Amino acid sequence: MDPPPPTAFPNSTSTTTATTTATTLPRLAVLNPSNTHPFQTPSKCIHTAADLPRFLSSLAYRDIGLFLLQLNRALCPRKQSQSQPQSQQQQPAPPSAAGPLRLPPRDPPARRFPLDAPRSDPASVVRLRELLAKLEALIDEAPPERGPRRFGNPAFRKWHALLQERAEGLLREHLPAETLEVWGEQGVLQEVTSYFVGAFGSKERLDYGTGHELSFLAFLGGLWKLGAFGDGGDGQGEVERSLVLGVFEPYLQVVRRLILTYTLEPAGSHGVWGLDDHSFLPYIFGSAQLTRPISDAEPMPLEGSVRGAPQPADILKPAIVDRLRAENMYFSAIGFINDVKTGPFWEHSPVLFDISGVRDGWGKINKGMIKMFNAEVLSKFPVVQHFPFGSLFSWDPDPEAQPLAGSGLAAPSATTAGGGPGTAAPWAQATKMPGAAAGVPPGPGIPYTKVPWTNTPRGGGSGTGGAGTRPPGAPAVPAPRGGVPDTGPPPPTAFPRGTPGTASNQFAVTKAPWAKE
Amino acid sequence: MSDIDRAIEQLRACRPIPEHEVRELCHKARELLVEEGNVVTVNAPVMICGDIHGQFHDLMELFRVGGDVPDTNYLFMGDFVDRGFYSLETFLLLLCLKVRYPDRMTLIRGNHESRQITTVYGFYDECLRKYGSANVWRYCCDVFDYLALGAIVLGASNTLPSAPNRDDVEVEVHSSDGRIISRFLGPSESQGRINGGAGSLGDPAGAILCVHGGLSPLIDKVDKIRLIDRKQEVPHEGAMCDLLWSDPDEIDGWGLSPRGAGFLFGADIVKQFNRKNNLSLIARAHQLVMEGFKEMFDASIVTVWSAPNYCYRCGNVAAMLELQEDAGGLGVLARSNGDVNRSDGGLAGGSASWGQSDVSLPTKKKGPGRIYHVFQAAPQDSRGMPAKKPVADYFL
Repeated sequence: MDPPPPTAFPNSTSTTTATTTATTLPRLAVLNPSNTHPFQTPSKCIHTAADLPRFLSSLAYRDIGLFLLQLNRALCPRKQSQSQPQSQQQQPAPPSAAGPLRLPPRDPPARRFPLDAPRSDPASVVRLRELLAKLEALIDEAPPERGPRRFGNPAFRKWHALLQERAEGLLREHLPAETLEVWGEQGVLQEVTSYFVGAFGSKERLDYGTGHELSFLAFLGGLWKLGAFGDGGDGQGEVERSLVLGVFEPYLQVVRRLILTYTLEPAGSHGVWGLDDHSFLPYIFGSAQLTRPISDAEPMPLEGSVRGAPQPADILKPAIVDRLRAENMYFSAIGFINDVKTGPFWEHSPVLFDISGVRDGWGKINKGMIKMFNAEVLSKFPVVQHFPFGSLFSWDPDPEAQPLAGSGLAAPSATTAGGGPGTAAPWAQATKMPGAAAGVPPGPGIPYTKVPWTNTPRGGGSGTGGAGTRPPGAPAVPAPRGGVPDTGPPPPTAFPRGTPGTASNQFAVTKAPWAKE
Repeated sequence: MSDIDRAIEQLRACRPIPEHEVRELCHKARELLVEEGNVVTVNAPVMICGDIHGQFHDLMELFRVGGDVPDTNYLFMGDFVDRGFYSLETFLLLLCLKVRYPDRMTLIRGNHESRQITTVYGFYDECLRKYGSANVWRYCCDVFDYLALGAIVLGASNTLPSAPNRDDVEVEVHSSDGRIISRFLGPSESQGRINGGAGSLGDPAGAILCVHGGLSPLIDKVDKIRLIDRKQEVPHEGAMCDLLWSDPDEIDGWGLSPRGAGFLFGADIVKQFNRKNNLSLIARAHQLVMEGFKEMFDASIVTVWSAPNYCYRCGNVAAMLELQEDAGGLGVLARSNGDVNRSDGGLAGGSASWGQSDVSLPTKKKGPGRIYHVFQAAPQDSRGMPAKKPVADYFL
């Protein structure tokens, strides 16, 4: 079974009143350049569910969390003082002062960060976007096969082979030259290529899920640590915004095109009871875009919406979704669901439907999404088992990790050293597993809301780690007789006279949760 | 009105019944199912259905097209639960109908009727959400352990009523309003027909084996299925697992399954099995097919899929297979019940050509008359209104 995710972190609930400065807010540290940095070929370290607690107190877990929160907070609208340059505002100009009616004085509109507003992305970001465009163009070289088939299109294997074949060359071409030079090209590519290649679905299973998405986050995070984005930014989240709006969203667009072109299936599925068939992060970033404004010194709010934000229930109105999907990542993700699914939204996406009833604004949704991501993605063995560890995302223990309440396990420190109150990871206070009512078996995922891929073998890693994976924790459910054997995955070897065929090419084919990759 | 009739009425309206009623229902169902063998014998006429996966409104559409219970006999080949929104209502309704009309409803086990799979693919989440506890999930799982593993259909007619004087018409495809869309001589050409030739390469007058997934390398005779101790969670390997997990594929012999459980099996395996067991056809489910059904290996095996627009996005139609009663007494009933260990029954004239897929058998040597009723997803307006939004736990 999965270990409980890290729970309560002391002194982390007063974030709305914190007065710490932006510099002590959680931020992923950039490493000191060194051409003797010990790069590694990342490899898998999470072999069994029993390795999860170690992961949850590792440096890699800390760094993933820091980077995610850093990006998340950068997207939150900013309060503006009158002195700030109006040219940066994305809001319509205030009513003309010459008009007959003067509005009572109020705060100037917050600065918001929609997808479609002009940005000046640094060259490093522009180059990554060009890289993504090249990946998309590979689709033309691997056109989907026509003719009868079940669902998943085997031509995706060809696309993925092209990706693997060209990844290093493309990265060499598109990563900042200084970064490659300072750190040594070979080492950098050796390490970041794994995360890059692991971010675009599984060629074996013709599927895509949150583990792949996590791999792309790690790709960007690794480059961040290497200072690849040092060419832009004001220290107030500008580069981070460029990364999310100018790289991550385009990445999601490429992924969506892959899903549509090759009819990739969800990697693991709780059916309608998952958040989304494929994605998680756009719901975090998109809700952050709509959260109530903060100053540069404030931490991420835990409730409230920016003035003028759509209502959470607006995700149910296709016309509004179509209008907002160009500017907001949450609505962009909902729009994609509307593109591919038919039937009542509340029926095919009940978890998102329920969230649309949240009353305390997008800040509340953002906080919940981060909690849920921590519990349902980072803390789920089937998702993270494929994540490879190296020097940038290290399997070494986080010395700051704190004991996990009630379990004697270590919990990650969500803060940077010296961070004051208010710098804790939102999830640190908020990952009690709901639904763990008396009598509920400790299965792989007790909460009623789960992402659909929590318990199937799924990808995210590059497959470079040679070590075998074990079946995800078989649920310790009561079996009256016989029971669920919880050891020994069954893939048979006694009659291997044929080759696996088209049965793997289906949409939503059920895979044995205990199966090896 | 009896309790069970009231429960049926409530579930037909897509409203779950209270927990204590579920408990009682499951108890009754278990008492009934424990008396059934691992392989249930079913007499034609019968409507054979594939995966439902909690698509309740589409199940209602299936009953509308196929005829209501108890006017029509049904055989559901498992995978009632997981993935869809209404696994609970779907399974409980089918179970109620089984308890109320035990001889007219046959339910066999699919790979999703399992504790481990339902915790992964949605049914567990659904029960927790709809009842606030896992009790109902547990009651249902206890019933799963008692479901039969397969069924043998006897007494199916070789002719189709629309062509009573033509015994060469073997397959009809009907639309949901009952029109005949197409007719085929010999094995259906509509779907995945591998090669030419007529007639299934088994005992053309033999019985039909229904099983959720497919064959097992550990099972060469139907009788061996009867020896399994089935009343347990689906194991990770072995014969019981294979029957629920395997898939036919374009290979020779046996292959590893990409699912990680069960096997892939080729045409040679199916033909051998059918011959050895005097079967005319294997009907199975387990795999999405866009057209609702797919006959393979010279119509020796068919996949039937009954969840239209699977997962709200696949755009597939669904189908069920109707086997009609042999009125003349010349059908399979008089010849084989699938249990009998005959070595060569019904093979006359065909034994030289086993393994060859392009052989032309005399048109008399053909399988049962097969009517595929094809239907689409229920219209949206039949689906009722959304429940009020409970606050998701992470967002409290």
